Amino acid sequence: MQTRETFAGLSDWQIGLWYALIAVSTAIFAWGVVRLVLKYRRGRGRFPTDQPGRRVARTAWIVLTHAWIKRRDGVAGLAHALIFYGFVVLFIGTGILAFQDDFAEPVLGWDFWRGPFYLGYSLFLDVFGAALIVGLLIMAVKRGSRPARLDYGRVDGVASRYARWRYQVGDWVFVGSLLFLGVTGFLLEALRIAETDPSFEKWAPFGWLAGQGLQALGIDGETAAAAHFRGWWVHGIAALTFVAAIPFTKAVHMMSGPASVATRDEMAGKRLVELPPSPKPEEVGYGVVADLAPAHLLQLDACTKCGKCHAACPAAASGYPLSPRDLILDLREQSEGTFGVRASLGVEPLFASDANLIGNPIRPETVWSCMQCMACVEICPVGIEHVPIINHLRRRLVDRGEMDAQLQATLETIYDSGNSFGEPKRKRGRWAKELEFEVKDARKEPVDVLWFVGDYASLDTRNQRVTQNLARLLHHAGVDFGILYEGERNAGNDVRRAGEEGLFTDLAESNIEAISACEFERILTSDPHSFNTIKNEYPALGGSWPVVHHTQLLLELVESGRLAPQKRLGHRVTYHDPCTLGRYNGVYDEPRKLIAAAGCELVEMPRNRDNSFCCGAGGGRIWMSELKQGDGPRPSEDRIGEAMSLERVSTFVVACPKDVTMYEDAIKTSGHAGDIQLREVSELLLESLTLAAGADATAAPAAPEDEPTAP
Amino acid sequence: MSVLVVAEHIRGQVRDVTRELITAGRELGPVTVAVIARDPAPLVDAVNVEGVAEIVTVQVATDEFENDAYQSAVEALITDRRPRVTLLGFTVNSMGYGPAAAAKLGLGFASDVHGVALEGDAVVATRSFYGSKVSAELDFPGAESVMLLLRPTTWVPAEGPGGASVSSFEVTASPSRARHLELVEPATSTDVDITQAGFLLSIGRGIGEKENVEMFRELAEKMGATLSVSRPLVDAGWMPASRQVGQSGKTVKPTVYLAFGISGAVQHLAGMKTSGTIIAVNTDPEAAIFNVAHYGARADLFDVAEELEKLF
Amino acid sequence: MRIVVCIKQVLVLGDEVEFQDDGLDVDPDYLDSALNEWDSFATEEALQLRERLGGEVVLVTCGARESEAALRRCLAMGADRAIRVEATGRDPFTVARALAEVVRAESPDLVFCGVQSSDAVQAATGTVLAELLGLPRAAVVTRVGYDEDARKVVVDRELEGGLLDRVEVDTPAVLTIQTGINEPRYANLRAIKQAEQVEVDVRSAADDGMPAYRVRRMFVPERGEGAEMIDGSPAEIAGRIAAIVKERLG
Repeated sequence: MQTRETFAGLSDWQIGLWYALIAVSTAIFAWGVVRLVLKYRRGRGRFPTDQPGRRVARTAWIVLTHAWIKRRDGVAGLAHALIFYGFVVLFIGTGILAFQDDFAEPVLGWDFWRGPFYLGYSLFLDVFGAALIVGLLIMAVKRGSRPARLDYGRVDGVASRYARWRYQVGDWVFVGSLLFLGVTGFLLEALRIAETDPSFEKWAPFGWLAGQGLQALGIDGETAAAAHFRGWWVHGIAALTFVAAIPFTKAVHMMSGPASVATRDEMAGKRLVELPPSPKPEEVGYGVVADLAPAHLLQLDACTKCGKCHAACPAAASGYPLSPRDLILDLREQSEGTFGVRASLGVEPLFASDANLIGNPIRPETVWSCMQCMACVEICPVGIEHVPIINHLRRRLVDRGEMDAQLQATLETIYDSGNSFGEPKRKRGRWAKELEFEVKDARKEPVDVLWFVGDYASLDTRNQRVTQNLARLLHHAGVDFGILYEGERNAGNDVRRAGEEGLFTDLAESNIEAISACEFERILTSDPHSFNTIKNEYPALGGSWPVVHHTQLLLELVESGRLAPQKRLGHRVTYHDPCTLGRYNGVYDEPRKLIAAAGCELVEMPRNRDNSFCCGAGGGRIWMSELKQGDGPRPSEDRIGEAMSLERVSTFVVACPKDVTMYEDAIKTSGHAGDIQLREVSELLLESLTLAAGADATAAPAAPEDEPTAP
Repeated sequence: MSVLVVAEHIRGQVRDVTRELITAGRELGPVTVAVIARDPAPLVDAVNVEGVAEIVTVQVATDEFENDAYQSAVEALITDRRPRVTLLGFTVNSMGYGPAAAAKLGLGFASDVHGVALEGDAVVATRSFYGSKVSAELDFPGAESVMLLLRPTTWVPAEGPGGASVSSFEVTASPSRARHLELVEPATSTDVDITQAGFLLSIGRGIGEKENVEMFRELAEKMGATLSVSRPLVDAGWMPASRQVGQSGKTVKPTVYLAFGISGAVQHLAGMKTSGTIIAVNTDPEAAIFNVAHYGARADLFDVAEELEKLF
Repeated sequence: MRIVVCIKQVLVLGDEVEFQDDGLDVDPDYLDSALNEWDSFATEEALQLRERLGGEVVLVTCGARESEAALRRCLAMGADRAIRVEATGRDPFTVARALAEVVRAESPDLVFCGVQSSDAVQAATGTVLAELLGLPRAAVVTRVGYDEDARKVVVDRELEGGLLDRVEVDTPAVLTIQTGINEPRYANLRAIKQAEQVEVDVRSAADDGMPAYRVRRMFVPERGEGAEMIDGSPAEIAGRIAAIVKERLG
């Protein structure tokens, strides 16, 4: 009969010892898990408990399909899948065996682990065991080739209190110990087969082959049995040690990863959370580690140091003292050293519970370098919410007035004048007065579309041209629209991201009041930042309306024929996805369709769509002083360089007023003026239409010929 | 209609503003100049210019300006001589006592005045409001006597020999509650002396961020100019005070003064408006600096600066 | 120790202007309001002194209800109390008289005012206030060295040209504070909102007494010849400027 003897060669007391060791290992494991949960509960607030069924289902799908792990690194995705499924199958396999031995047979008298079932079981486990080893080897080779994102060097110039070499050692020990378990497992199987030589074990192909090999080497019979006995204990104790150590090592991500995915906020970063009403200073943002939400504390432990966030971050890439990975790891070390396992064991570095998060080692410059572009949150395989965490850190700094003088001045200006330029309120509608037709005042008469224009689009000279041309497009298409004139204040998206929650609420409430007094069908914005906050964040403050971005509305008009492009422009263009339009709100296709409608050929930059590279203005950074270290290019200059690396692209197309400003500047400062021109999407569309006189002029430099660019 | 002018001096020198007051005052009537000092005699010649009818010296215990001493002296003089108009410069020292004397004696009062006229018996003063964007005519109904603090550099300093009579006036000394200790030179670095430069490239709030200072510093170097700034950049700590042009900084008179992003606050204009050729670049067409500039361009500072750099 | 800080909510004119029908002032529609820049420096200086020596910082302003916004701003910075004197006059004498009674009743050790307000630029109210209170004063102060025990303060006054006049002033005294003396702290909106819950003490003032002046007419001044404007693209403008520079410098 096809089966094998479990605990072969073990005396009763040895089996008893084995079960005792299992109990010990399990107890240590359990203590570790309890300690972790207790640590998370030290945070402020509770884990989210809404929609539990949906959360579990979503998490299961993400984990089982490896949907997030395989993004932008298919090889790692494959390797991890091999490891994951290998581990799971082996784990289930052991479980089946335990069930059979400890329950089914003695209690139910049911012995199923034999015959065809056993053969299938053997085959399955052998194949998946091999997969496990293959996956691990792939990972080891990848790690051995020292990819940049696994270099744990700090970018912020701070000597870490926690020796980074421990990370490297920990990583190799993790891979190594799993490999050890996998290889010794097969070795044991081979020894057993070499000793007992059952012919049906061909169903465990790798074990069988290895067994044949051992026999060929003369290892069989007694020798094999003795080696098997010793090897069994080695493998067994190693396995139990591994299990006991899970909560204390990198292996914890097996639990914390899925837990992080299950407890995440799907709107993290896009819709920031409000402060409690009338908050005390210690309730504003994150100042000490106990201020972190339990979900955030959990996320710190879910980090596997994969470095994808670090690789995607425009600040890290441009030499700012910010690496999202380092920030999360610094916070993890602080949480562990304050009330984690390390704290209870007294292992340095240790922190007092009232120790400031900002100080050592997290520099304020690190927190202020963030552009809140969401590249990190977008790509993290375990759903860590770096952007909201940084935002919470900023809230505390702002509350204490600890910020860059320029940011302070801008926030004061926004409070006084309602816009970031310090212009008198009357100037908001000035661009409209220069048009050939009247723009309705939505405060005074009903309109179909209420156009919330935004600071930059209303008051910045270059952007005013875009706004005026957009108005001409809408007018030509017969759209019934109006603006708020002086009733509009800064939408508050970037104020909120800079951490001034109170000012955001003030701006939002006054805008909501102004908008609520009007009669309209839907809101149009020409600024993705305003789009994000009105769409995602105003509802929580009482203002909920349908909102579209102008690329969406223009596409509607084109598709319905109300705007009919006539000229095929024939430019070879590339398109930069704005962070707040693309990653934040998933609007990727509409601008591309408009570009096609204007008869242009789109050449994608390597970093496009959800991998778009931020221009550097977001998160309030456009109002702060330069934090970039060294002489490298600014993010916007780097992006222009990326565009210039494409063949024969004459035009850089954007869909955000801040992008217009940043890239017009970057084209000049990177020395490419004349090589590439900047166009807003609506400007391209306008060029491809034939409108009445006065409407064609975009007053931007003439398009250079689509020639190969000068070196 | 008599006019009392109070002379201002420091370190033994009469300041130019005093003679500007004389120029303004002599349009209104015979001018009496009060010289208040510990040793007034050496200062008398400097104010004995055309248009001055009388010079009155007042001896006080303090060698440099002190509020209380000047206030007592001026109050006593006004009470004694009953001038129709008392003129002080709109200066840091005057701010310390002028308004107090005017309030105490029930005079009409206005400061930062840049135009004075007589309409019959009434004194009409012209000054600016709302950051120099509008002007206003003021009068002082019911006030027998008026004190005006005149904006420096508005009138030309009076010159030419005068034939004033000189007399002394006694004022009873009272203890000074704010006592001058010493004059202290501001901590200047071994930086360049902008008053000696023939070509100044000057930047103001319009340049936006601290990082942009570098760009203009480079441009200045390329063009062979010395970099100077207006007050806001010094207040913000971007540049040392030694580079500041203006009333509380240095007064300069270069052959060419090229201003980027300077709106032209009065205190700044006072420090540079006598420059040979003034060229101003500013995005605001209403910027006051265009009033004193010889050439102006309403354009983006950085665009123009960038183009300029190519030409030098 | 008690420091009284007199602040003003000033009016800010954009680049468009229309006058009231009586021609005596600008149409309020064209005016925005803000805390006087000098007063945030004065408030900060008072707060720093309080941090060093303990005591309280009391704000006083003269104006209509809208001017409480300026008080809230300074309360949010950390001041302890705020008093508003209901009065409509804006010339230095009228304002100083309105403030004097209230300030006197507070028995302050020091009174801070800004050197001047950005809308009127009279630079007089602080000094007149000192006179009405019978207090010693120093104007245009850029450094305050307060000796509580000796009841004296040594200040630096910033004279024209940057020269500093070091003066010893008996206290209680009135000091008018110049910009650049410190870095005013940020008043975050949360603090401003909380300041809105603080009750402002409103007093009235008998508005007798002569104003310093009367506005007879307000107008937009003629700009004289003004500058010769250079038009064109930045390149063209730069070219012209370069030509002028080269020609003048020889």
